[in-house]
Amino acid sequence: MEIEVSGKVKVAKDRHQAEVSKQTGFPSAATHYMEAPIDLNEELSIHKDATFFVRVKGNAWKDFTILDKDVLIIDRSLTPGFKDLALVVQDGSFKVLRVPFDKDQETCVLWGVITYIIHDAR
Amino acid sequence: MIAMVDCNSFYASCEQVFRPDLWGKPVVVLSNNDGCIIAANKEAKQLTHIPMFEAVFKIKHILIENKVTFFSSNYTLYGEMSQRVMNILSTFSPCVEVYSIDEAFLDLHGLSHIDMRAYGVDMKERIYKYTGLPVGVGIAPTKVLAKLANRMAKKIPTYQHVYVMDTEAKRIEALQWADIGDIWGIGRKHVKRLQAIGVFKAIDFVKLPLAWVRKEMTVVGERLWKELRGESCLEFMVVPNPKKAIGTAKSFGQKLPDLGRIEEACAYYITEVAEVLRTQKSCATYIHVALYTNYHSTIDKQYSNRTTVTLSIPTNDTFALITQARKALQSIYKSGYRYKKVAVNLTGLIPENHVQGNLFEKRSKILDTNLMQTLDVLNRKFGKTTVSSAMIGTRVSEWELIKRERSPRYTTQWRELLEIGSEGV
Repeated sequence: MEIEVSGKVKVAKDRHQAEVSKQTGFPSAATHYMEAPIDLNEELSIHKDATFFVRVKGNAWKDFTILDKDVLIIDRSLTPGFKDLALVVQDGSFKVLRVPFDKDQETCVLWGVITYIIHDAR
Repeated sequence: MIAMVDCNSFYASCEQVFRPDLWGKPVVVLSNNDGCIIAANKEAKQLTHIPMFEAVFKIKHILIENKVTFFSSNYTLYGEMSQRVMNILSTFSPCVEVYSIDEAFLDLHGLSHIDMRAYGVDMKERIYKYTGLPVGVGIAPTKVLAKLANRMAKKIPTYQHVYVMDTEAKRIEALQWADIGDIWGIGRKHVKRLQAIGVFKAIDFVKLPLAWVRKEMTVVGERLWKELRGESCLEFMVVPNPKKAIGTAKSFGQKLPDLGRIEEACAYYITEVAEVLRTQKSCATYIHVALYTNYHSTIDKQYSNRTTVTLSIPTNDTFALITQARKALQSIYKSGYRYKKVAVNLTGLIPENHVQGNLFEKRSKILDTNLMQTLDVLNRKFGKTTVSSAMIGTRVSEWELIKRERSPRYTTQWRELLEIGSEGV
């Protein structure tokens, strides 16, 4: 007699597919409701070829709710819009500015647009 | 049409993206073990009084005096940045041939309705915007001409790093502009011979009779000749050819007299090359191991030797390879010397699924592919040699390459991210 691995023990490889019980009895009640789990890369629309992560030291930008040890998600593919936070370079160093820039900040070079601020709550 | 895209002083540019304090300043990148300069940016190249090919320890003071910033090579960073560039390029053409870490050919056939110059400018601008890396774009009917167009894009300021060679007149003009040595694929030896018969410019070369070129420069020269005349004969290689040999030969950070640590280094190098072997799904038939003292040294006794092991059954199993390489190493090691380098090289590579068994040996080893796969998955996820043979030992830092000035791996290590804003409280 051949002993086969029960269908239920096998881990469903493709989570998009509804799980169908191979045993007799009731099929999973979730059969028609399976969805892919939340993917942060997708939710935060991380455009991986243009995205960089940058760690902040100090509280120089606490007015922008950017605190010490926060990690900024920077998307270079974006063009900054009104009220966006931008990472810029001025006189060879990085700065965070709110769009629109002031007159004296117009010499700075845009490095990327800050899309999210990751704050370690612990 | 075919586009040739390459990054301007790629390694130095990668470093500068994350170091705006170095924008517009001379930057060089050093080879493994910080031995010599392997890349210099435009600003560094302008300091022509610095002998850039000299050993770093001889010219270090000149570099410092001239405020040249130097970095140890950070291949993790360069590799990841390169991947970004190639991904962006693949949005411009379904057919991208990655020619090297910083160069790619794009097949633009079938895009005849668009403005090629605008397309090239778009490539350049998008790559710069997304990654901060400057590139040059050359577009022409053949690969060799595209390479030449790329050179013109870089060398002739009015083109602003994008040049399209789309007419016969422009092709002739390019051939009149280019020296014979500027042509991709014509080596120094051929340049001398061609100059001896009065061929100085690319235009002189294409006027040579084909029969002469074929006879003197083989089919390779013939292809170049045809490509320069606008006849495409170099194919696109989107999937790279599997390597015929995989090896590594890195110097130790210090001279090692004892077999133990050399064995550990050897096992480490085998681990590295076996991983590459498995990614291309090959097995090795021969292991070459070589051991060297430092031939630059005047105070050390000199010795070097090499040996080859033939495996009864070709394998890509790290443990099997380490065992054999270790035996080979022991057979050439002699005590009483201070060694500088061990080299390992795997050859006789055959596809994994073509391995022939041996009548006198069990083939149970095949089962270990599961083990190797697990190893590869773990190491890819958690970092190099997270799980490895105990032969590697724990003294890696005692023989590892010196990378004193390596920049952080900004894009692959969460603990090495770019840090900004240290001045505020």
